[in-house]
Amino acid sequence: MSMQPTSERTLSVDVLARVEGEGGLHLRLRNGKVDDVKLNIFEPPRFYEAFLRGRAMTELPDLTARICGICPVAYQFSACLAIEDACGVTVPDSVRALRRLLYCGEWIESQTLHIYMLHAPDFLGYAGAIEMAKDHGAAVERGLSMKKAGNALMTLVGGRSVHPVNTKIGGFYKMPSVQDMKALRPAIAQGLEDALETVKLVSTFEFPDFERPYLYLSLRPEEGYPIEGGRVVTSRGDNWDVQEFTQHIEEVHVAQSNALHGLLDGEPYVVGPLARYSLNFDRLSPMAQQAAREAGLGETCYNPFKSIIVRAVETVEAFHEALRIIDAWTDGLEPSVPVVPRVGEGFGATEAPRGVCFHRYKIDETGLVTDAQIVPPTSQNQPSIEADLRELAQEWMWMSDEDLTLRAEVAIRNYDPCISCSVHFLNLTVDRG
Amino acid sequence: MTRPRRRVVVGLGAPDRGDDAVGPTVARVVAAELAARPVPGVEVLEREDPTALIDVWADAAMAVVCDAVRSGAPPGTLHVVRTGPDLPPLSDMHVQEAGTHDFGLASAVELARALGRLPEQVVVVGVEARSFDWSAPLTPAVAAAVPSAVTEVLTLLGP
Repeated sequence: MSMQPTSERTLSVDVLARVEGEGGLHLRLRNGKVDDVKLNIFEPPRFYEAFLRGRAMTELPDLTARICGICPVAYQFSACLAIEDACGVTVPDSVRALRRLLYCGEWIESQTLHIYMLHAPDFLGYAGAIEMAKDHGAAVERGLSMKKAGNALMTLVGGRSVHPVNTKIGGFYKMPSVQDMKALRPAIAQGLEDALETVKLVSTFEFPDFERPYLYLSLRPEEGYPIEGGRVVTSRGDNWDVQEFTQHIEEVHVAQSNALHGLLDGEPYVVGPLARYSLNFDRLSPMAQQAAREAGLGETCYNPFKSIIVRAVETVEAFHEALRIIDAWTDGLEPSVPVVPRVGEGFGATEAPRGVCFHRYKIDETGLVTDAQIVPPTSQNQPSIEADLRELAQEWMWMSDEDLTLRAEVAIRNYDPCISCSVHFLNLTVDRG
Repeated sequence: MTRPRRRVVVGLGAPDRGDDAVGPTVARVVAAELAARPVPGVEVLEREDPTALIDVWADAAMAVVCDAVRSGAPPGTLHVVRTGPDLPPLSDMHVQEAGTHDFGLASAVELARALGRLPEQVVVVGVEARSFDWSAPLTPAVAAAVPSAVTEVLTLLGP
């Protein structure tokens, strides 16, 4: 077989920028066809599930929070729900409301960071947020101010802006006072205004004409938009209890990734903002619904590039919900209920900013963990990210390598993949040449 | 008499991630030293989120940021790196953020620069780290470097 160099193209991005954790992308095109697409995840596997065995159930909120520095609340609360399920405990409405409030803080921090610092530069034609800030200073300042409001919410309810320390199985160590809540209110009210402006801003971006027939999966609670719990629903009409999750979701290992790939009855599926929105539009507040409509969104969205608008709409919802909970808050509420260990298995799922975060634990009669399973959102989305890349590369094959690579990177950022993160430090290389 | 312009010392890092705690640890010792020998106009803070820097140093004339650093140098090595509106970015001085975690110190400096919110003087007092294990204490070499990092910060603040 003769080599035809002009028909062979291999595009590689060794280290993806503006995603959480360490990942790379490999795209191989042969004779006008996409030959191979691999999202490489080389963040070392963390063997979390193995190391949780033998730990006390009470340690789980603090231990699992460390899986991610961007979405620790997701891990904490999914772990809490699973253990409470195993022990047959239901937390009171006040604890559930405070969990929702803390979770709003996490959504605000995470979604704002992604919209302004990681994704908007793609649409405005900048290499990153720093370059964008030179021309769009006011927008970046708005993003920082919104993130600061999210940090303040996390600090008040969680005791810390990253890795909250106030949560425990059964509830919280300490309830915030009405006075503290009132002090925070102006920043959250301003955040809501800023979030509405954000929807307007991102709706002016130009989006590639690209839709995919996704199979969506999200939670759906008895009322309200899915955040801190609910049943599992899909766009093909499933409606299960969280306990049935593992009967349908299979995690498979693939060579190029240290993260497992999730499949729903053998099919790739999508979790995260697009899925939540498309399955729960009716649950958004009228204010968020109106913002979505004015931004040109329908009640479902199948264009992954428009996920930035959906994230902005969800940020409106998070601020709106935070205000509602703050305004209804009263003093003197019990911060937690006792959770007595018993032999059993429990299941918990919450909506991390990036999608459903599922936990399953088995515990013994003393409350020691004997088995643990954690299904994070990014591993569930990985097969769909690769499918998007395959289709996108086929559609835009005429583009230059540089443009196609950029488009592929943007497509990965559509999912805001949280490959792994947690600690801040500098890699310093001293060049003395 | 004019009031001295505000200066901030920020210990950056997670207090419970091994050597990542060196920033907050240095900041705490500096705060204790300043409580005994006050220097007017100096505020000492601890932060975990680098984007918070842009806000806390917004109106400051000088910011000293204590942080864990990885360069391949022996653990505990002190790195003092200066930047400011007229100085090159940290990244040009081969200071890079590890991986793509969150939004690091070098990015925070550049974002502040772009927004016109960079103090006239930013000095990074970095301590070469070895381990970032959960709930681990500082490793011995890093713990041993804390006094010299504190001295460096106090010297920067002047008498």
